[in-house]
Amino acid sequence: MIIQLLNGLQLAMLLFLLSVGLSVVFGLMRFVNLAHGTLFMLGAFVGLSTVEATGSFWLALAAGTLAAAVAGGLLYLGLLRRLQPAGPLKQVLVTFGLIFIGLEVARLVWGDYAERLPGPASLAGATEIFGVYYPTYRLFVIALGLAVAALLHFGLERTRLGAVIRAGVDDRTMTAALGIDIDRVFFAVFVVGCALAGLAGVVAGPVLSVYAGMDMGVLILALVVVVIGGPGSLKGAFAGALLVGMAETFGQVWLPEVAGMLLYGLMAAVLVLRPQGLLPAGPRA
Amino acid sequence: MTPPASHSRHAVALLLAVLAVGYWLASGYYGKELVAETAITAILAMSLSLLVGQAGLVSLGHAAYFGIGAYALAGFGQKLGWPPALAMAAAVAVGALLALVVGWVAVRLAGVFFIMITLAVGEMIHAWFLKDRSFGGVGGMSGVPRLDLSGIGVDLADPAQFALFALAVALLVYLLLDRLVLSPFGQTLRAIHQNEERARALGCPVGRYKLAAFVVAGAVAALAGTLAAQRSAFVSPELMTWTLSGEILIVVIVGGSGSLLGVSAAAALWIGLRHQLSTMTDHWMLAMGVIFVVLVLVAGDGIDGALRGLWRRIAARRAARRAA
Repeated sequence: MIIQLLNGLQLAMLLFLLSVGLSVVFGLMRFVNLAHGTLFMLGAFVGLSTVEATGSFWLALAAGTLAAAVAGGLLYLGLLRRLQPAGPLKQVLVTFGLIFIGLEVARLVWGDYAERLPGPASLAGATEIFGVYYPTYRLFVIALGLAVAALLHFGLERTRLGAVIRAGVDDRTMTAALGIDIDRVFFAVFVVGCALAGLAGVVAGPVLSVYAGMDMGVLILALVVVVIGGPGSLKGAFAGALLVGMAETFGQVWLPEVAGMLLYGLMAAVLVLRPQGLLPAGPRA
Repeated sequence: MTPPASHSRHAVALLLAVLAVGYWLASGYYGKELVAETAITAILAMSLSLLVGQAGLVSLGHAAYFGIGAYALAGFGQKLGWPPALAMAAAVAVGALLALVVGWVAVRLAGVFFIMITLAVGEMIHAWFLKDRSFGGVGGMSGVPRLDLSGIGVDLADPAQFALFALAVALLVYLLLDRLVLSPFGQTLRAIHQNEERARALGCPVGRYKLAAFVVAGAVAALAGTLAAQRSAFVSPELMTWTLSGEILIVVIVGGSGSLLGVSAAAALWIGLRHQLSTMTDHWMLAMGVIFVVLVLVAGDGIDGALRGLWRRIAARRAARRAA
């Protein structure tokens, strides 16, 4: 039971890292980057190659994160920004096409085989927690997710840039009218979101296996997180990730037959009862 | 959104059918397979065209309804041993039912959210059949029964005859959907697409119309799925991957989303192109992704729009000559 809770928490933290960028970008720009999962996969593969070349997991963590950030930045400047006048629908569809391209590029560069990214030696083994032995690496994943969440929370709530982002989510036009270069803010948010996706990819490497096509499963879960949590909000992404992570984990254990339907039911229930999501962004009361 | 076609459209439909039959006559074994695949793809594309082109609902999970039709036929026809005709009808009903359950939630959402939820649900269904052992999991299941048309001298186990049968079904689906598009129901869908607020203000139950379109599209996609299952007597989760949903969306965009004949012609082009690409490289999906991105970037009205523009120009020139 405690082990399943921890497993659920661990999946939730991965999902949080992945979906927070998706969610805040949506809040600012009203479009969803469906190639977000592809950046997750890119991070994992770059991390894998780095570990194979240097043997250092921590270097891999940095390289995977950086690769996803750079790829995301280029993607935005080269393609997505130009599509802005055409509206969000075109942007979303273009990013859907990018999934195909990313998948085939990954197959060409890294081949068709699934590989496991070795975790750091310092986090090997298990640690006793709440009376059970649990893999140390997975505890690290949980801690990392919580740390990133706390950092983002502090950044959004306590810094000037955070205030600008929140203002942009509330009312983009008004924020721009106040003399803030909202496009630059958005670019920064987009790149940070992509970097987090890459980070999640490397972190997930030792837990899930790394293969061309690993992006789709996590993308779907991330989309559900964004829809359930309420797009545009950090708290929403966190709550959504917790809910989806737990539902996935306990669903697989208790009701493996209907685990998929459980997720759909959860999403349907939230959308019917609270179409705006659990904790949507917006002016606080 | 495309306005209803002119009266010449049935002539174009006939021309397309004649071309397909001509190709069928001229080609060898593999060509007949391509005709069957084109007919099935055309049915699937026409069903998505109703959603995208008429109702303005861009679904990224349409392969799920196609696949569920195929699996339902396998379930009823093979596992439960129902007569194939009954199993086929039941499979179409299952497609409609699934669309009803998904659409009930999805049509409440607009634009980007609708895309997200259709993609997510489509992949959930795909994941379900990947895992589920009772239908063979990843490996799929063979031995799906075919419709028995020996009464009219047709043997669907023969690929050549099956291709003609699929073509006939495609033509039938075209005629039915064409009536639907021109009916008050189709007009209402276009009105909603054009201006949802206004349609709502005029007292139109917008959600119910969208749901009805979603259900019809799901049922027709399931029908296409039952044909796909009968073609190879085999079902596998491949039938419902997101890549297929993407392919069909390409076909619909190229064909000029709302034009049933445009998307059917585009289906033929696509099957031909994909066949070419896949004989050249194992990585044809890369080309497909590039085509997808470029298409979305440049897409105007697709084939249908281009032809109409040409026709209008010719007509204008003729009128000018007559005036002179």
